[in-house]
Amino acid sequence: MNATPPLLSVQDLSIRMGGTKTNLVDGLSFDVGIGETVCIVGESGCGKSLTALALMGLLRTPPLHLNGGTALFDGEDLFRLPETQRRQIRGGRMAMIFQEPMSSLNPALRIGEQIAESVRRHQGASREAARTRALEMLERVRIPAAEKRLDEFPHQLSGGMRQRAMIAMAMANDPSVLIADEPTTALDVTIQAQILDLMRALQSETGAALILITHDLGVVAEMADKVVVMYAGRVVEAGPAASVFHDPQHPYTIGLMSSMPSLGARSEKLVTIPGVVPSPLAMPEGCRFQSRCPFAEPGCAMRPVFTEIAPDHGVACLRAPLEGTLDPGLRETGT
Amino acid sequence: MLAFLGRRVLIAIPTIILISIFVFGMQKLLPGDPVLAMAGEERDPEVLEYLREKYRLNDPIPVQYLNWIGNALRGDLGISLRTNQPVLELIGQKLPVTIQLAVMALIIAMVIGIPAGVLSAYKKGTWIDWVANTVALSGLSVPNFWLGIMMILLVSVQLGWLPASGYRPLSEDPIQSIKTMLMPAFVLGTAIAATLMRHTRSAMLGVLKSDYVRTARAKGLSERVVLVKHALRNALVPIVTVTTLLFGELLAGAVLTEQIFTIPGFGKLVVDAVFNRDYAVVQGIVLCTGVAFIAMNILADAAYRVLNPRMKDQ
Ligand SMILES: Nc1ncnc2c1ncn2[C@@H]1O[C@H](COP(=O)(O)OP(=O)(O)O)[C@@H](O)[C@H]1O
Ligand code: SF4
Ligand SMILES: [Mg+2]
Repeated sequence: MNATPPLLSVQDLSIRMGGTKTNLVDGLSFDVGIGETVCIVGESGCGKSLTALALMGLLRTPPLHLNGGTALFDGEDLFRLPETQRRQIRGGRMAMIFQEPMSSLNPALRIGEQIAESVRRHQGASREAARTRALEMLERVRIPAAEKRLDEFPHQLSGGMRQRAMIAMAMANDPSVLIADEPTTALDVTIQAQILDLMRALQSETGAALILITHDLGVVAEMADKVVVMYAGRVVEAGPAASVFHDPQHPYTIGLMSSMPSLGARSEKLVTIPGVVPSPLAMPEGCRFQSRCPFAEPGCAMRPVFTEIAPDHGVACLRAPLEGTLDPGLRETGT
Repeated sequence: MLAFLGRRVLIAIPTIILISIFVFGMQKLLPGDPVLAMAGEERDPEVLEYLREKYRLNDPIPVQYLNWIGNALRGDLGISLRTNQPVLELIGQKLPVTIQLAVMALIIAMVIGIPAGVLSAYKKGTWIDWVANTVALSGLSVPNFWLGIMMILLVSVQLGWLPASGYRPLSEDPIQSIKTMLMPAFVLGTAIAATLMRHTRSAMLGVLKSDYVRTARAKGLSERVVLVKHALRNALVPIVTVTTLLFGELLAGAVLTEQIFTIPGFGKLVVDAVFNRDYAVVQGIVLCTGVAFIAMNILADAAYRVLNPRMKDQ
């Protein structure tokens, strides 16, 4: 996997609110290989959605802006492409689905049209061909009575069905990367599993890479090839899923895992690490996890360097690797 | 849709009856004797009595009402006390003129107001937004009569581009008709355009924040498609509501505008009828206006159902 260059390589991505001095997303870097599933995990508010929107070029609420970084996608830096070319990629080679299936579909347009317009836009297909493609996609995401659904409106579909329709829409142009921002968070537990299964099936059929954003380690354990753990806008730990799960090195990752009831079972409330994420207005110098870290020491006031401690597995902690320094009790519940 | 319209028309019937009772009752309660107005200088009691009998003003009031409404249902709204013409004929002559004015004004208002509202919402906080809002505010603050007089002075007197008077019916001389109606429609349309612009702007601001607009952008659609097909379509529901409400303002404004531009429309008919206590005409006019309002509301409801598919299931 290392021999071929990654499909998408994000380097030093920073996002800032105009008029403030702290980056909401600060120097984020990660790679996504062809067909790979990369999970970005972290508590709510750590900048996952902002990252996804920045990659799509949808960061458009003015005071919020990109504050540096590159995103090489098929050899081109997305952040330096003119808008017309980005539109070409958006919804074509790079597609996205969102957290809220209820509000993400246009209530005034028929399901079929919402899929077909994207097909016409990116494949230059005729109305008829695009409609055929829309039907094919609805069947592929296993929506029952697909033919009938084409002419229905979003309010006639259940939440799970709407998320399937969103997936059909996103996959209609065979993207090489699908970004899914908490695609199952708003859904019932049983539906969640179905949607994850569906994404995995489509991925193996099409060979698309998946950037799956979640705050749910159960989802990560089930889906990820690679894990990127974010805290307060920064990557604190990243590496192959197996390596991160079996040998977490950052105190935050360890805390996350020890608060996970058991792999596979999903729970809404995962993080029981004491304390709260510092507000962007009162971000500490150096390590952003300081205020909650049981291992903090004066040196943590310097920004810890992201260091590889195992093949492809890196950690941003002054004290990593934590072997030997860790409280044994914490380590036990961690795995 | 047909069943829906049928149901709405049925529901409207009690409303129309209520309006008619109200119209009739108001007339009876108003001070002043129509027979005196009709008789002019004549004060001979016998003549007055003859007139009362002729117009059945001696019958009990409920009987008078039933007579009136019964005739109205047969298309007979009575005879104008002033001109001796059938009221329906009078209305039939004048109403199309006012409808032409109102429709042209509404078209002008929509052509200016909706795109301006969309643009200023899209460019919120920029100079475009600022200019649109300032122009809209001036459009609202400038009185119609002043704008009308200024336009006559500038466009007709100074530049000689458009005639200031000389209205011809649309059916007789369409070009002259539209030419003479253009300035009044513009004057009437601007105030409506300003209101429409502000409502369009606020509806669009809400819609532009929605998740489905973000989804539309995530498909790589052009901003034009995002704005018109995805955003404006959803913003149209409140815009239709406002337009329906503006219809009343439009009619009131038409009365005034017709006076300024000496257009022989409904407005002149209303003013003449009220000042001359021409009861039959006033009643007929108010009844027609009421029915027109109800029709507008039914049309607006039909438009909602087209624009908002969720309403179809209800
Ligand atoms: N439009 C916005 N304007 C201002 N701040 C924002 C905006 N969107 C997100 N933020 C802030 O950016 C941070 C990261 O948000 P987000 O990326 O949505 O987090 P996540 O998806 O990880 O829950 C949060 O502190 C949030 O308050
Ligand atoms: S750098 Fe220091 S404060 Fe930050 S996680 Fe490591 S030990 Fe804790
Ligand atoms: Mg989020």
